[in-house]
Amino acid sequence: MVLKNNQRTLVFLLSSIGLITFPHFWHIPLSIITFFYALLLWRFIGIWKSHWLPHKIIVLLIMLGGIALLLNHFRSFLGRDAGTSLFVIALALKLLEIKKDRDLYLICYLAFIVASSQFLFGQSMLMALYILLVCCALFTSLIIINSQQSKPVVAIKKSATILAQALPMTLVLFFLFPRIQTPDWVFLNDTNTNAITGLSDTLDPGSITSLALSPELAFRVKFENNNIPPPRQRYWRGPVYSYTDGKRWTESQQYINPSYMDTPKYKGKAYKYTLLLEPQIKNWIYTLDMPAQFSSGLYKNPRHQLLTQKQSNNRREYQLVSYPHYNTGYITKAEFRENTQLPYPASQKIITFIKQLKGFNSSPEDFIKTLLDYFRTEDFYYTLKPPLMKQKPIETFLFENRRGFCSHYATTFVYLMRVAHIPARVIGGYQGGEFNSIGKFLEVRQADAHAWAEVWLENKGWTRVDPTAAVAPERIERGVDINKQIAQGLVNFMSINNSNAYSWFKKSHQLLQSLDYNWQRWVIHYDTGNQANFLSSLGIKNLKIMLYWMMGLIGFITLCLTIYLFKNNDTSIDKASFYYQKFCKKLAKVGLQRQPNEGANDFYTRISQRFPTQKHQFKVITALYNQQRYGKQPTKKVLQQLQKTVNQFKIKVNIK
Amino acid sequence: MQTTLNNLVNAANQIILGKEAQIRLALCCLLSKGHLLIEDIPGVGKTTLSHTLAKLLGLNYQRIQFTSDILPADIIGCSIFNTEKHEFSFHKGPIFNQMILADEINRSTPKAQSALLEAMEEQQVTVEGKTYQLSTPFFVIATQNPNHQIGTFPLPESQLDRFLMRIELGYPDYKAERSLLMGENRQQLISCLKPQITAEKLALIQKNCAKIHASSPLLDYIQAIINYSRESADYNEGLSPRAGLGLLTAAKTWAFMENRDAVLPEDVQVVLPAVAAHRLKHGSTNAEEIVAPLINKVAIP
Repeated sequence: MVLKNNQRTLVFLLSSIGLITFPHFWHIPLSIITFFYALLLWRFIGIWKSHWLPHKIIVLLIMLGGIALLLNHFRSFLGRDAGTSLFVIALALKLLEIKKDRDLYLICYLAFIVASSQFLFGQSMLMALYILLVCCALFTSLIIINSQQSKPVVAIKKSATILAQALPMTLVLFFLFPRIQTPDWVFLNDTNTNAITGLSDTLDPGSITSLALSPELAFRVKFENNNIPPPRQRYWRGPVYSYTDGKRWTESQQYINPSYMDTPKYKGKAYKYTLLLEPQIKNWIYTLDMPAQFSSGLYKNPRHQLLTQKQSNNRREYQLVSYPHYNTGYITKAEFRENTQLPYPASQKIITFIKQLKGFNSSPEDFIKTLLDYFRTEDFYYTLKPPLMKQKPIETFLFENRRGFCSHYATTFVYLMRVAHIPARVIGGYQGGEFNSIGKFLEVRQADAHAWAEVWLENKGWTRVDPTAAVAPERIERGVDINKQIAQGLVNFMSINNSNAYSWFKKSHQLLQSLDYNWQRWVIHYDTGNQANFLSSLGIKNLKIMLYWMMGLIGFITLCLTIYLFKNNDTSIDKASFYYQKFCKKLAKVGLQRQPNEGANDFYTRISQRFPTQKHQFKVITALYNQQRYGKQPTKKVLQQLQKTVNQFKIKVNIK
Repeated sequence: MQTTLNNLVNAANQIILGKEAQIRLALCCLLSKGHLLIEDIPGVGKTTLSHTLAKLLGLNYQRIQFTSDILPADIIGCSIFNTEKHEFSFHKGPIFNQMILADEINRSTPKAQSALLEAMEEQQVTVEGKTYQLSTPFFVIATQNPNHQIGTFPLPESQLDRFLMRIELGYPDYKAERSLLMGENRQQLISCLKPQITAEKLALIQKNCAKIHASSPLLDYIQAIINYSRESADYNEGLSPRAGLGLLTAAKTWAFMENRDAVLPEDVQVVLPAVAAHRLKHGSTNAEEIVAPLINKVAIP
């Protein structure tokens, strides 16, 4: 059994292991977590009641039970979840057979693996901090195991020092060492446990309402030179819904040949920005209307939407340039057909309505203006909880309820345009975003999801029209107050004057968000591309030069340290020790080991008893050593004499 | 000078039989200008040892028997009204001797203990606003009974720390015991002892002891010992800086007594139990056991 004074070590080790596994509570099956903590508790009790610990055979049975539990859940040992569970079970079982110090080391290393496996599930900054703290506890356990007598407080200090010392090196290696991209075939996330929300590929009246209550982050945008567009230009363009069956709007499946299309012309101010997109359901990229330049790996479809090649479960960063003023030029026949599509002929009621607004015989611009005025002046309401409109949704909305959300206004508007033979389509995306004044970036959340219309006009091309702005201009100008909206379940916009306490809350929230943004950008999302940018900002253009720099730097530091160490030590004293060690090594060969706490004179007495014939030689060497190392004035002459005598010294073993 | 010291030790050996190591340590303590505490059960020769040393060093000395009702004035002295001169005159107490034998110091109350201990630290006493210098050299040899015995007031740590060394005598071995039983009366022998050293020579020796060289590896060793006592779980509290200084001084004197001009780690190891044990809190009461981790686990650099 383990030594008695190891009890404290065990208490420390077991507690830190308990803490390490704790975050897995959210990731691996409850039964396995229970299994783990039950065994941990057993082992904990076993510290004081060692006879309660299980016998070998029982441990074997428990092991079989653990494997059965694992197989029952996953039917395999492979994959992220099963693999992690396997390690957790192994750690628990190893706890039951602590016999030697070696087992303690093994447990520590297993615990390190379990700790790092947390990062397969989430990489938030708080989790990283937690793991760092717990690893500090684990280091402390290792220190206590290695120096049995150490006080825990001293050991904690020491492990904190070790971690602090390791930190600069870690940072240098992290930022400078060539990044290795994970190959695509490594599937660490075997099941996507986080339910991702976002816009879907069908737009029905309720689909955006469900997002309006989600505070989840959609993406964050950092503008170059803090050149941020005003709120009414913050339209983040996403999917284009141009096909309707009368109730739902979806993306059109028709093929449009881009070579027939006009090249868009961009005017005015360009906005350069970095988009940090949260994991998405789709391969859509949300861009400031209208994107002109984009990073490689993206492509623009004929409907001016940016897409990635593949859908990805990870956060991604993109460099983009957008112009709020643009002209897409002429419309192709295919586009015209697609964007005037109607499921069935419009009803008499609708046609009469359009006739009333002179939709058929005035210019499209005038009709748009009249229609928006109509929305503004008649009693239309912007609400999160519109009544259900199952049959003929457009007519019900237009003539009966007059209460709706952005999708209602956008779809109705586009429908009316199409009936009046004007090409129009619904655009999904986000509008607004909250400016984080600490991190100087825009945060766009799911609650900012929005739908608006695009109309094709002669000489202007595709033009953005937002009917919601006519009904609720504050939605566009001020943005959504997400916290209130969620709390009340009603539409809420940002108020202009915030109370003091509220702004404090807001500030701290922004600070956290800003920290998280930088964490995502600089740590989680630090890949080859980022590294290249970072290094080139330091003036390092390619990897080879950087490696030379690194080697040069390390060499230089080593050299400085060596010189410092050599200069700081009186070498002649140290050499005396060196030769004396040599002398001791010669004696160690015949079994006379000098103890670390044994003085030279004591050692002399001991060896003289064993080899009385060489007593004189021993005496000379001991005297020279003491004189050189502890004497008043160490001299070169004495040192040389010591060197000579030690080199000449040989043990005469008497063979009897 | 070393011959003088050896003669002194030999003479003491004639009185206290079979305790050469303790005699040398006691001498080392006095040469280091430190105060000495002898702790043991009654009747093993504590008082005899202190008398012998005082006599051999040629110092004027007085014994103060500490009892539970002793008062500070009994130690320091007091002012008495002189009827002829019509004024108070100060009558010096036993503390104004070169050597004080404070017998059974832990039998008195803390008040009286502190009177003596103050004098030990300051080398002076203040009575009724007037400060009196104590004689030089000034040594205190205190004896105390083990704290588990009846009628003892243990010295607090702060006061224990003022004694440079604490030694234990222990029972004599068989041969020494027999010689003791066969020999003369010890009191008579002591009264016949002649001083082996003059006051000037004593001062010179003390001066020379302080001049012994301590190299930087040796100081490293002493610091390693102190650090170990502070950081290891073996002790609740580590050695104080005063203890460190005492250790170095005692090791220097020991090296001088061994006729060397530099301190070796062995010197430190020899004086360590006497210097450090009474300043450390430890389960054991045996000095060797208390410092065993310091000697065994701290490597000599």
